Amino acid sequence: MAAVGQPTISWPKTSWADDVDELDQTKGEDYVDEHGVRITVEYAINDEGKKIKITRKIQRVLQKSVVEHTVAERKKWPKFGQERGNKEGPDRATTTVGENVVLKMTAGNNVVCRLCKGDHFTAKCPYKDSLAGLETAELPSPDEFAPSAEAAPAASLGGKYVPPSMRAGARGAGESMGRPGGTGSREDLPTLRVTNISEETEENDLRELFGAFGRVARVYVGRDRETGVGKGFAFVSFDDKSIAQRAMDKLNGKGYDNLILSVQWSHFAEPRPDGR
Amino acid sequence: MRPILLQGHERSLTQIKFNAEGDLLFSCSKDHIINVWFSHNGERLGTYDGHNGTVWTIDVDSQSRFLVSGSADNQLRLWNVANGKCLYVWEFPTAVKRVAFNDDDESVVCITEQRMGHQGAIRVFKINRDGDGTDQPSEPEYMFNPVGSKATVCAFTYTPNLILTGHESGKVALFDIVTGSEVENNERAHMDTVTDLQLSPDRSYFLTSSKDKTARLHDTKTLRVLKTYTTETPLNSASLAPNRPYVLLGGGQEAMQVTTTSLRQGKFETRFWHKVLEEEVGRVKGHFGPINTIAVHPVGTCYASGGEDGFVRVHHFDESYFRAKPYGDLDIED
Repeated sequence: MAAVGQPTISWPKTSWADDVDELDQTKGEDYVDEHGVRITVEYAINDEGKKIKITRKIQRVLQKSVVEHTVAERKKWPKFGQERGNKEGPDRATTTVGENVVLKMTAGNNVVCRLCKGDHFTAKCPYKDSLAGLETAELPSPDEFAPSAEAAPAASLGGKYVPPSMRAGARGAGESMGRPGGTGSREDLPTLRVTNISEETEENDLRELFGAFGRVARVYVGRDRETGVGKGFAFVSFDDKSIAQRAMDKLNGKGYDNLILSVQWSHFAEPRPDGR
Repeated sequence: MRPILLQGHERSLTQIKFNAEGDLLFSCSKDHIINVWFSHNGERLGTYDGHNGTVWTIDVDSQSRFLVSGSADNQLRLWNVANGKCLYVWEFPTAVKRVAFNDDDESVVCITEQRMGHQGAIRVFKINRDGDGTDQPSEPEYMFNPVGSKATVCAFTYTPNLILTGHESGKVALFDIVTGSEVENNERAHMDTVTDLQLSPDRSYFLTSSKDKTARLHDTKTLRVLKTYTTETPLNSASLAPNRPYVLLGGGQEAMQVTTTSLRQGKFETRFWHKVLEEEVGRVKGHFGPINTIAVHPVGTCYASGGEDGFVRVHHFDESYFRAKPYGDLDIED
């Protein structure tokens, strides 16, 4: 532990706050070995309070480059203006090195098709008809929106805290006060999640579309908070589960506004269904 | 790549410029001083002090002997690059918005603003290169007032006595400096203010950026638009990458709107577009505010960007940048 490594040198204490800092003042080493490699050894205390040894090996390699005569001349120019009299080399006050930034040169890096991972918009995918059907067939119920039962025991093995509601054998999330209406009203209604609707789709459009199957209790269209433009998904609640089932069977994969609807059961497992 | 941050200015950058060999980088800003840096390590060589207002524009001659600067204190100054001494001062009734040397370093063109009852003017000064440079003619060799929309940017073409101008209306024009007449124009080159104009190394084509969110490549002789790069943000600067088929675009929303719009609409990145195929191929983040000016090293090994945040960021390209072939083996000879 840190207390073992008391420094041999002692200096007058200036403040009780310095106490902690003094503990890790153990002198490191700094030498250049026979290969010209500079080795710096430092001691520090890490986040867990354990003392660690940091060894840095730095080898300096002189890189020679041929520059034009005028360029070489200019390097010898004395500094002037506000830099007058300053010594050679970059000054920390004006020159610093920033964080690493990545520049990846790729073509069409903005658009990735959700279906075939090609570099076009999903709506323009040549395999739209065949793959869109496959995608929904693979997912009879949208698992990604429900906290899966398999994931929970696995998480508890990792030594992390798992809330009781997430543990194996739990009956799901406890009561929540977060949502208006409480747990008694809205979530009990059979609700369908409708995705891939156009931005212009209004509540009334969906009410009309789903109303053909039976009474629609509630329609919610996800919108951007600032612009009010639709975000391409909606929730439609029915009074009766069998009607909802029928609507899902009929409308899933059907075209609407030049887009192919995806209709799934909705689970209010996560507070923000759009994942934001 | 790790950028070198140059913090020599206290206010937003207005223009940055490499010299012909690319070892020196000049920067000017609204805080009245001009800085010169070594581009390879970011060391500041010196400052050019004397202006008493926003320095809007700078240009350096091909021998790195003279520097000209135009400022909001209505002065055009000539400096000795090597020691920061001011060699000559020209005074005008209004602010100087843009200066440029011609290719044989013997003339300087400058644009003065249309303000306080004075017309916007374009003046061309002969630079006397004999002696120490303090003996300069006080009167311009040529002067004329372009009619219509005011000029914002200018540059010499390779043809003697012809200059290119970009205007507030989005017009791009060719002027004969001797007669002051418009030789050629393209009224609809842009839909909004032209913010930057940079020529290709052989001056046969040039790149303009505009507030209308596009950058365009034009033919110098006919002013025909060759390529258009459409982004989603107003552009303040555009630069051509030598030896690689890219253009670099920088911009971002207006500085006055930064606090009133949400951060994700900021778009303060440098965008790399393919020069020929007109598609975006990469982005570099970093600035906290809009990018005001971009310059690429004449050999194409590094580029620098100056922002509204007062920083200049010098990026030396990684090996991967030179090896990258975003469109496969399809490569364009420059």
